Parts: sequence; structure tokens; C-alpha cells
Amino acid sequence: MIISVASGKGGTGKTTVSVALAQSLGYCNFYDFDVEAPNSDIFLKPDINHYQKVYVKYPYFIKKDGVSFKACSDFCHFNAIASINEDYIFFEELCHGCGGCILVGPEGYVREKDAEVGEISKGFKSPGIYFFMGNLKPKSMRTSNIQGDLEKMLDRNQTVIIDSPPGNSCSMVNAVKNCDYCILVTEPTPYGLSDLKISIDVLKNLNKKFGIIINRDGIGNKELEDFCRQNSYKILLKIPNDINIAKTYSKGGSLLEWEPKMKDKFLGIIDEIEKEVG
Amino acid sequence: MKQMTIISGKGGTGKTTLASNFIKLAKNHIAVDADVDAANLYILLKPTILQTQEFTGGPIAYLKGECINCGRCEELCRFDAISDSLADIKFDNLKCEGCGVCEYVCPADAIGLKAEKQGEYYISDTFYGKFVHARLDPGAENSGKLVTIVRNVAEDIAYRENKELIIIDGAPGIGCSVIASLNGVDFVVIIIEPTLSGISDFLKIYDVVKFFGIKPFVVINKKDINEENRQKIIRFCASGNTEIIGEIPYDERIPFNLANNTFAVDDTESIAGKEIKNIWEKIISLEL
Repeated sequence: MIISVASGKGGTGKTTVSVALAQSLGYCNFYDFDVEAPNSDIFLKPDINHYQKVYVKYPYFIKKDGVSFKACSDFCHFNAIASINEDYIFFEELCHGCGGCILVGPEGYVREKDAEVGEISKGFKSPGIYFFMGNLKPKSMRTSNIQGDLEKMLDRNQTVIIDSPPGNSCSMVNAVKNCDYCILVTEPTPYGLSDLKISIDVLKNLNKKFGIIINRDGIGNKELEDFCRQNSYKILLKIPNDINIAKTYSKGGSLLEWEPKMKDKFLGIIDEIEKEVG
Repeated sequence: MKQMTIISGKGGTGKTTLASNFIKLAKNHIAVDADVDAANLYILLKPTILQTQEFTGGPIAYLKGECINCGRCEELCRFDAISDSLADIKFDNLKCEGCGVCEYVCPADAIGLKAEKQGEYYISDTFYGKFVHARLDPGAENSGKLVTIVRNVAEDIAYRENKELIIIDGAPGIGCSVIASLNGVDFVVIIIEPTLSGISDFLKIYDVVKFFGIKPFVVINKKDINEENRQKIIRFCASGNTEIIGEIPYDERIPFNLANNTFAVDDTESIAGKEIKNIWEKIISLEL
């Protein structure tokens, strides 16, 4: 069973919840899909035993008299290459690595090389948490390539927890599209509610089952709860607004370190999800 | 005319709170929400939309003719977006990047590319000046492209109306939409919390900002939740000659103001609001 933990708004507690779920389970596979700003290692503290680099292919062009790259420039849908007579300018940051320029360009004069865009760290945390975390290299924009390599490591036969990136665009979709159930973490403020509504649209488009965790319960207003009640969305848990949680968090402490009794609540949530997923 | 982007790496550290209060204090500016897939600036600014434009992202592949099941497209697609091309061809719209390789290699001319609407962007009026914002369709791609469009629209208005500043509320992360919100700006404000995860993400976004040669100012939010981490940030900024232009205390009035649709800088009881005012005055004296 795969459970993704997502949230349109950032900083609402995705990592807090996914780490607490993993620690409560004790035995599971954990994947950090927030490859632009991964943090789960800070809280889960696994022993990292392997780094796997993520590469994408970029073309390079060999200049020669009489060889033009106009066909490449005409073909490229991302405008990553401009061709002027026999000269060219290549914009690496626009290239998607599709290989089209090799197909259409002068044979033998367009070649490919690997470029590193990030890495995946793998580790283990006792008693039985297998840990996988993607990390995008700054200045690279290939978020989806890192997530794609992580996706290949998903093991459906295990209980899987996926920590999603914030937002409601393609990088969030990549983190939830394989799940059997998605937990949406939000906070009871107008920002939290506004972003939650969009996340629910994404999940409905993908036909995903979901439930909601309200974090920092007590701040803001009651609109979020009213919204959930009116639409019969399930509220799985409310985590109180408590400065001590924020202080524990700031030191890399998890929710279970703040309050060990939370473990039973999270195991209860897993039970509930298992029943619903069937 | 100058442009400023507010970013953080980590989400939920206070970008929109800072941006909305700056917009409230600013006099001759245009506001931009560059967090197009989880936009929140509209909530406090309450825009009256003057103009709505459709956003079409990049095109994606579709079957336009009769597939002869040769398998060529599936073999050459680098994004695993085509499956079963030897039986009943399927395109995965979520994976397709619209590169056009399948269209090019198809011997039966059966594949086409078409662009679909992926969102909208708006030019709006608010009590606090003009506002350019957008809504990316749920789950859509090309957020970076949409950010570039709203910024271009804002720049046009700023030149036409002789504005001295564009205030851009950025997205979390360090990926394509964040980079699109940094391209060509004059300075950035990085707002971080003194937490281990906040610092980890700050170091990544700092790296990106430095790479683009943009001047960063740092704001520490919730400065009192961890003194040790706060000192780490101060030491790091000092070693890189990066100015910390303000430290906002933890203040329960921030969510209170948000829930009541009021600005922290207008709330005499908000200690955070007072500090945000100081930060704004520093920015004016340093940059405008």
C-alpha cells in the first residue's frame, strides 16, 4: 500500500506527518519526493549507505566547416538551440534531453553526454525503515528526472510512505499519482484552505482517495472545518498549535519525540486507511 | 524601476505574509504572485479582475491518425510517455513533455502535438495598487512558463505607469518556477526560520541566488524558536557578507490577522507587524 502525504501550501507539516507515520509503523519504505527541498533525513535520521547520482542526457555539437545545425534549431520545441550559419548557441537550461536534435541533425555531429542533476540517497533506520531521498542539485531544473528515478524504486509490496513537495503542479502529481491514499496536511487559515481546495481538485482528477490532517489546530478560523464538514471530507487528525512542537521541530525532533502517545493515533490512521483502501 | 522577489526554499516560512505587508506599505509599485500553483496573495489583496487571459502551456502528443503499431515512437520517447505502441497505443499526458520526437519518427504521420489551456492569468486592481496573478490548472506543468508570463505583463505595466518597484511573491523550492521568478530581478529577500530544515533549504536557495549574481537580503522569521540555529544563520550570513535586514519574532497575531483579513503592519498589537515595518523602511533606504 502506498500512502502519499501532500499539501498545496508549504510548511504545513507534510514532513512532520510522514516521518511520524514511518516512525509509528517502524517497518516501511520511506520516499522523500520533495527533491527541491528535502528535509526528512533531518527528522528520521537514517544511516545513509548509498548515493546514486541522477543523470540526464544533454547534446553537444561538433563544429565543422559546412556542417549546419539549423535542422536541430528548427526542430527543438524548447528553443534550446539557436543556429546561425555554421555557428550555434546551446541553452542547456532549456534542454529537456529528448534526443530530437540527434535524430534530425547532421549525422555524427550531434552527440550526447551525461550531466548530473542530483542524487538519491538510500539508507536505513532501525527497526525497519528503508529510506530513499531525492536531492536536486541547485541551479538544475530537472525536478521530474529525480522523481522519476525515485519512482522506479517504489515497492508496492511494502507499506510505502511518500513525502510530497508543496504545491499543486506536476512535481506534486509525480508524488501522488502512484498512491492508494493521500493524506492532505493543512492549517486552518485562509491560505491553508485555498491551497487545500486545489490539492483536492488534483486528487479528484487522479481518482485518489484522501483524508485531511489539520495541523496547528487552534490558529486562524473555523472555515476549514466547515468546508470539510460540508463536503463530507474525512478529518483524520488534528495536531494542536503548540510552541513546543515548533521548538522540537526546529531541533530536528519528530512529533513522536514531542509526544510518544501520538504513535497510537498514527497507527489508528493507518488502520483506517487500510480499511478504506481494502 | 526595480524588481524584488521574496523566496525561502522551504515552504510556509512567511513569504506571502511578508509580501502582502510590503505591498500594503509600498506606494508606487506593482504586485506579482509568482506562486502560480498555490497562490495566496489574492486572499488579502482582494483583487478586482480587470483582464483575464488564457494560458496555454507546451503542447503534448496525441493520436491524430491511424497507428500502424510499429513501436518506433515508444522506443524513442525518453519520457516513458508512450506505451503499448505495438498493440493499442497510449499516451501518458502527465509524462509527455511535448518534445515532438514521436511526431517526427512516426512513419504513418499518425501523431500530432496540440497545446491545451493549462491555466489563466489576470491583471487586477486592488486597494494597494495593480496586481498580476495567475491560476495554474490543478496538476498542470509549465509553472515556470506561467511565472515568466505574469512577470512580463507586470513589467509592461510598470514601465507604462512609471512604477518604481515590482514586488514578486515567489514559490517554495528551488526548481523551474522559482528560477523563473529570479531571472533578472535586482534583489531578493530570503525569509527563513531558525529550524534545521529551514537552514538546509536556505543553503540551497542561497546557492541559486548567488549563482544568478542577485543580491540577497535575509529575514529571520520566528527568530525566538531556536537560538542555536539563529546564531548559525547569523554566522553564515556574516561569512558571506549577506545582510540580515530584520528578525521577526514569533507572534500569534500573524495567523489571527490572516484569519481576519487584516494586515500585520496595521495591527498595533502585532510585534511581528512592527518589525516588518522596520524591514520595509530599510529596504526603501537601501534600494529605492
